[in-house]
Amino acid sequence: MRDAHTHRDLEQGIGGEEFKIVFTGPMGAGKSTAIAAISDSAPVSTDVLSTDHSVCAKATTTVGLDYGSIMLGNGACVRLYGTPGQARFRFMWSILGQQAAGIIVLIDASQPDALVQLDTFLDAFDTVTPIVVGVGRTGSPRALSADAFVNRLEAHGRVMPVFSVDVRRKADVVLLVDTILKLIEAADVALEAR
Amino acid sequence: MSVPRVSRVARTAAQKCLDEFGTNTRHVRSAVLLSADGFEIAALRLDHHGASRMAAMGSSLAAVASAITQEAGLSGFERMLVESEAGIVLVLHVPAALSTLAFVVVAEKKAVLGQLLWSSAACVAAISGAFNAS
Repeated sequence: MRDAHTHRDLEQGIGGEEFKIVFTGPMGAGKSTAIAAISDSAPVSTDVLSTDHSVCAKATTTVGLDYGSIMLGNGACVRLYGTPGQARFRFMWSILGQQAAGIIVLIDASQPDALVQLDTFLDAFDTVTPIVVGVGRTGSPRALSADAFVNRLEAHGRVMPVFSVDVRRKADVVLLVDTILKLIEAADVALEAR
Repeated sequence: MSVPRVSRVARTAAQKCLDEFGTNTRHVRSAVLLSADGFEIAALRLDHHGASRMAAMGSSLAAVASAITQEAGLSGFERMLVESEAGIVLVLHVPAALSTLAFVVVAEKKAVLGQLLWSSAACVAAISGAFNAS
């Protein structure tokens, strides 16, 4: 359900508009959980039973999309789309990425190939659309720190916000969405100033 | 490498169903039987790469069709029909005892739709029978 207090921070500076935000990242990174954490109503889910436990032990997996939305107090609507995580569903990344105002990449820091996964998902989307990275499970044994992902981005000449998050916590997901909305607003201001 | 938990017996029986479907149904270009999470189980007139891609897309379509059916208050997704200038794509739910499957059929435009639907439904029933027996 909608939480006016939690959404208050999202209401500044953006009004009466619609934004499409896409959550992407590998299987098990928490995309469906993140959308469910903040959506005003129960999200549309296309989760099915997973038969592939070689990559992730999750019982279910998203094969189509997740969809939720949040209405802000000023009338702006943020539409939240989640992609499937496995590479065989890459065609859905392209479809869902079209006309996105911002991308939130969620990464599981406890996965041994987490840095490569970050590269994979950044490469899947254009370099113009604002991106925020949310790194989960940084407290797990052998997990990489959020700094490792910042360094990886810098090595590729990319600069973008990176947060250590627990997407089960609504406040953490709101932080990611708040940041992406601010990046979108800044990009719009920069465009108008030209 | 991902391996769906489908027995060899069931897989062989499913392939036989698809082969018979292809033989007995006119203007079928290709078909694939897939697990709900997008792995191919049996394929007709597709190489491994083509079957893998079709299986992934078929599972997405089936999942979205199931979601919109539920959203509309209609339970029990059964099939989805996509018509293009050049042909037809059918996505059918395949009820099976231990797993959820889907069947995707690609046919030429000149296929007779009623015949294609009837034949596809018969193939789905045969596959279900084979899976439930194995």
